[in-house]
Amino acid sequence: MKKVLSLVLAAIMVLGIASAAVAEEAAGKPFIIYAWNEEFKGFFEAYVQDALIAEGYAPQFVINPSDNGVYQQKLDEALLGDAQVDMFLAEADYIQKYADSEYTQDITKIGVTDFSNAYEYTVKAASDADGVVKGVSFQCCPSALIYRRSIAKDVLGTDDPAEVQAALDSWEKFEAVAADAKAKGYYMTASFAETYRVFSNNCTSAWVDADKNLVFDAQIEAWIAQTEKFVENGYTLTDGIWGDEKNAQMFAEGKTMCFFGPAWYFNFCMGNAQDPEKGCSGDWAICQGPAAHFWGGTWLMAATKTQNADAVAEVMNAFINNEEICSNLVAKNAQFSNNKAVNAKFAEDPEYGSDFLGGQNDVAVFAGMTDNIKWENHTIYDQLLNEGLQTNLQEYFKGVVTKDEALANFYKYVNETYPEIVTPE
Amino acid sequence: MRKHKGVSYAKWGYIFILPFFIVYILFTLVPQLTTLYYSFFENYRDGLKQIGPNYVGFANFIKLFTPDKTGSIDILKYFGNTIILWVMGAVPQVVIALLLAVFFTSYRLNLKGQQFFKTVIYMPNLIMASAFSMLFFTLFSRVGPVNQLLVSSGMADEVIDFLAIRVSVRSLIALMNFLMWFGNTTILLMAGIQGIDQCLFEAADIDGANSLQVFFKVTLPLLAPILVYTIITAMIGGLQMFDVPQVLTNGKGTPNRSSFTMVMYLNNYLQTSKNYGMAGAVSVVLFIISAGLSAVVYRSLSKSYKN
Repeated sequence: MKKVLSLVLAAIMVLGIASAAVAEEAAGKPFIIYAWNEEFKGFFEAYVQDALIAEGYAPQFVINPSDNGVYQQKLDEALLGDAQVDMFLAEADYIQKYADSEYTQDITKIGVTDFSNAYEYTVKAASDADGVVKGVSFQCCPSALIYRRSIAKDVLGTDDPAEVQAALDSWEKFEAVAADAKAKGYYMTASFAETYRVFSNNCTSAWVDADKNLVFDAQIEAWIAQTEKFVENGYTLTDGIWGDEKNAQMFAEGKTMCFFGPAWYFNFCMGNAQDPEKGCSGDWAICQGPAAHFWGGTWLMAATKTQNADAVAEVMNAFINNEEICSNLVAKNAQFSNNKAVNAKFAEDPEYGSDFLGGQNDVAVFAGMTDNIKWENHTIYDQLLNEGLQTNLQEYFKGVVTKDEALANFYKYVNETYPEIVTPE
Repeated sequence: MRKHKGVSYAKWGYIFILPFFIVYILFTLVPQLTTLYYSFFENYRDGLKQIGPNYVGFANFIKLFTPDKTGSIDILKYFGNTIILWVMGAVPQVVIALLLAVFFTSYRLNLKGQQFFKTVIYMPNLIMASAFSMLFFTLFSRVGPVNQLLVSSGMADEVIDFLAIRVSVRSLIALMNFLMWFGNTTILLMAGIQGIDQCLFEAADIDGANSLQVFFKVTLPLLAPILVYTIITAMIGGLQMFDVPQVLTNGKGTPNRSSFTMVMYLNNYLQTSKNYGMAGAVSVVLFIISAGLSAVVYRSLSKSYKN
């Protein structure tokens, strides 16, 4: 018996070593990409991976979560240290930290030169202070109001996007509708921070001024005031923007009317709504909402130390200028691509519609919103300041601490996180 | 001609303990000294730019002990939190462990299936603290199974936000630390009790002592050295409490920073801006406190059982 067992074990070991050797043989030149989730990896594998492997590259993703700045820390260590990084992903909230540094390189010099089809703000975001372009985005992220059709019908008497938009095109109307929704037993939003981006994206000052003082913009104050009202009146739940309680509201049995987000939000983060059993795919639609804004977006940045600049350029060009890939991103992945010509084609196509949105042409809605996106007032600190403000104020909105205590805790968090930022006394 | 003086084995003793000292100096003493050194510098990262190191004297320490607007000193508050969290977990941990150790080693009870119980109570220690904490986070969240159970069984009228109430967050942290460590403590204390000469228990029995008298007059005094060791190691571990509250509160020490521990404070300095100056100062303070407390515990406990 023992002999048999040891034979089996030995066989497994030998096989294991053999298969490892085979795997190694298939591998080519490592091509390392840093990312914070699986979203881009999926598109990469679907559209460009095979071509790169055929050219002798062995693409590998290094994925670290974005929460609490973990992704940035890991990426910084890799960029400043000896680790190989060819290309990395960056988000709107901290792209400037990398674009404005020596660790990213001018992509026009490695072969990415045509930005005529890309949206202007996506190019500006990835440029340094002198206008040198360091990366490209594979998506354009105007953010919409995503509403439940059935609840809108009950509250507003219509689920037609144009009519819903007319009923919700200012904050005054939004609040009035919230009261109506509440009266009928619904929540207007499921997170205290649901409308945060709609306000923060329209700030007229950056989080930190030239002397590194922390600045509270009037829009942020307006968000706090509105959320106070919403929480007090029970118009919203007090969960975080990524919380389980909020996400549970996306199921068919959910009672929440409005969510805010770009294309990536409803196709990547609203899995509960798309759940075949408990979800409610098709019971959704989008309109611009009370104010134009964008949220997030994923940029591909070229690391200065890459030895595979050709491959980096190939991937970048594929995702902004290859019409077939950009069309697939829209048609198969429900993305709003960063290619104006492709988007225009879908926007005008009467056959195109999103099943999730009950047949609505989301591309047409987003295309109409792109002109309003401005890239201004960003700092390298935005991600953790936005995150820190939200988590500290959440305690205030839940009634655990006073507003002063919440702000004091936020300032403490800022002082610990960024010693160079001066917080108000 | 050399005079034969017999073989000296002493040098072998030194050679055998050498590896420990090499490892200790490389991985403990040197980092400790560099931490102390860096606590006198301004040394952090602004974005991707390195600031410093610039010598600033005691500025980091002064900053740590400067009261805020309301007059409270952050580091003392976080030290207080740490001690409260530790005591809430450690007191039941030592008491239960002591009780179990006495039961398991009692020749009168002679419990069956000891190996099984010992393994089971040790099990929680094998789970990663962060995974354990994540599990509790999910269990006790507003949409978690505990709330579902409470509401559906009618024990609660509405969902209880366990993670926003000071008492419940602290209790959960204490409970997790207790569950993870009481098995370990039990096994240590059992070893201690088994080291006591069995004749003493039998003699006490023959003299007519009851179980309580045996415990307080025989077991406890003779167990004192191991008990002191257990408490000191538990305390040093407790002062460094990090993973459980960090994961349970997502690094925020909610509510109102009342479960924010010293090492979470240190971590906040280190995490994003690699602020070795301030983080170094916090660790130096933590080191001094740990050393001081250990000395106090050692003296008071070993003195009280000397007579």
